[in-house]
Amino acid sequence: MPEWISIIIRSIILITVLFFFIKWLGAKQLSQLNIFETISGIVLGGIAAFHTVDPYNSFYYALLAMTVWFIAAFTIEKLSLKSKRIRDFTEGKSIVFIQNGKVMEENLKKEGYSTDDLLEKLRDNNQFLVSDVEFAVLEPTGELNVLPKRENQPITLKDLNITPAPAKEPQTVIADGNILLEPLANASLNPTWLEAELEKQNVTIDNVFLGQVDHQGQLFLDLYDDHIVVPEPAQSALLLASMKKCQADLELFALATDNPQSKELYERNQKRLQKAVDRMEPFLK
Amino acid sequence: MTVGSQMKTCHATLKSIEAGLDLLYASTTEQDLKNTIEEVAALIKDARHDMHQQIIYVDKKEPQYKTKL
Repeated sequence: MPEWISIIIRSIILITVLFFFIKWLGAKQLSQLNIFETISGIVLGGIAAFHTVDPYNSFYYALLAMTVWFIAAFTIEKLSLKSKRIRDFTEGKSIVFIQNGKVMEENLKKEGYSTDDLLEKLRDNNQFLVSDVEFAVLEPTGELNVLPKRENQPITLKDLNITPAPAKEPQTVIADGNILLEPLANASLNPTWLEAELEKQNVTIDNVFLGQVDHQGQLFLDLYDDHIVVPEPAQSALLLASMKKCQADLELFALATDNPQSKELYERNQKRLQKAVDRMEPFLK
Repeated sequence: MTVGSQMKTCHATLKSIEAGLDLLYASTTEQDLKNTIEEVAALIKDARHDMHQQIIYVDKKEPQYKTKL
């Protein structure tokens, strides 16, 4: 067998083997790999590369070595899933650098971090003052995670006592002029609805580059032809606006009338509308 | 515009709100929103009912401004 044919066959077999080994080892992101996984990945690739270009080496040795490395990596991965102790050993522990706002100098020294390194890592997290930090921990991946003090944390809706409407993920229902049936079904809609919506906006499906449906069932479109202006769906905004208008009207009537009975009626209904607006606002905004 | 016709506009707006809520109710799959719409629709319905009675009352008091409802 000529050498070049042998190299082609070896390459194809090794690519297949390597592909499946890496797949079975799991699809952790490269940055999340621990030391052992990184090394075994490199070694597997190295063995494959080495045996591909050297036709005089025994091919079975390549398969044997790759299998051993694969089994070792696979076993350690499965074992570390089962036991905390093995996990600590293979993946390393996270180390606390700042606790209760105080820097742990011992831990810094142990990890070989200087004050400058620590400050740099803190700045990475947008913290320029050590006194702003309540807690900081060095993850096994070498990343520093920082919990700012309560008063320095970004404000959330919870802090403001606002109850937001639950937001569900939008679904992309049209891509490159094609209807995507699965996302459409996920949003519990059907193609007939989509066709009706497109007709309402006076657009043909071929002209649509991208179409998304939000959690209220409103359709947003982007067209190939950017000169055509598509109205943004305003149903919910319109509904809210008419509720507010009605409430204002009732308030006006209440002010205008002299009849105490009518005044009472208008005020009662104005309060009803106000309540309705308050309840609906988080959903319609 | 007389007060009577203003009230009728308001009554019509209430009707349109009710229809809008119904539409939203039919198009959403979120249980939270559905519950809220049910609650709000009841409020709007009461308000519309009251306004209807009030329009009849005003029309009776001042028949010279009466328009078709």
